[in-house]
Amino acid sequence: MSTDVIRQRAGKFERTISRRNLREYLTSLLVVILFAYFFVKADNTLFRITWGLFIAGMIWMVVQLHRKGSARGIPAAMGASSCVEFFRAELERQRAVVSNVWPWYLAPLVPGFVAYTVAYALEFPRPLSWAGLALIDALVAALFFWIWKMNARAARCLQRMIDELSIPGN
Amino acid sequence: MEALYDEAAKTYSAALERLARAYEADPDLRRDLLQDIHVALWRSFEGFDGRCSLRTWIYRVAHNVGASHILRQRRTRSQALVGLEELENLPDNNSGQRADRNQALNRLLSLVQRLKPLDRHVILSYLEGLDAASIGDITGLSAGNVATKIHRIKNLLARQFQGEHDHD
Repeated sequence: MSTDVIRQRAGKFERTISRRNLREYLTSLLVVILFAYFFVKADNTLFRITWGLFIAGMIWMVVQLHRKGSARGIPAAMGASSCVEFFRAELERQRAVVSNVWPWYLAPLVPGFVAYTVAYALEFPRPLSWAGLALIDALVAALFFWIWKMNARAARCLQRMIDELSIPGN
Repeated sequence: MEALYDEAAKTYSAALERLARAYEADPDLRRDLLQDIHVALWRSFEGFDGRCSLRTWIYRVAHNVGASHILRQRRTRSQALVGLEELENLPDNNSGQRADRNQALNRLLSLVQRLKPLDRHVILSYLEGLDAASIGDITGLSAGNVATKIHRIKNLLARQFQGEHDHD
């Protein structure tokens, strides 16, 4: 492979990583814009607070996502680490992302959902509306629980792989 | 940096291709992986300080890219990676088949492709003709651990292929 081809490939690789990160941020930005629209259009304070909390939660989530797990290029110092060191570092990096998703991924959205539930229940004080609201809340809670369980399982799997690296003879 | 890369590409091109083959069975993904290894090598020479040999550096980079590839692919692959203990206990499904050279190589490759990254690093380095001390430098394992792993892998492979030769 010639150096020119390598240079092209490296540039393409970096551009792909940048595009992937940009796509994630744009998607989040669109959601924030949508919430901002609801915020402006809200006709009472409680709904305004709701959408404000959602916006704050989304921004917090995106910042944390960027810090913890945004797609990255090939580390330049790859050859300086032995395979065990490199592999352990990669596994630990991935485990850090999935091990506890509550503080950075799920919890930031909870205040918004709670505020929405209160605002909706007060705005539409009818048993049928409350039943629908309870169903939506139950679905959201189930989704959050499932996301948490899946990530916890992935973290356990990564931890097992890290532990195996520490066993003498491995 | 470019001179180092040129030397690496010239001397280790075939070894890197073999290595990519052991990390990825799919030809398209393998081609991408090989390119990723070359890109990583090219970029890595910015940080090459001569504290280890060029060969150790090249194999470290290549294996580390391979390990990252395994981690990326593991969510989409149905077949789980196994340790040496599990591989030793696998049934010998093909013992009745006649082992011509290609078949034996493919079989060896498919066994290697099922190994966990660290075991894979060791056996591939061994198959490239590296001694235990060099493999230790690359992987970060002690020479004693490397020797033990190689011994077990050799026994395992011998047993896997023994059945076939018995039928020749």
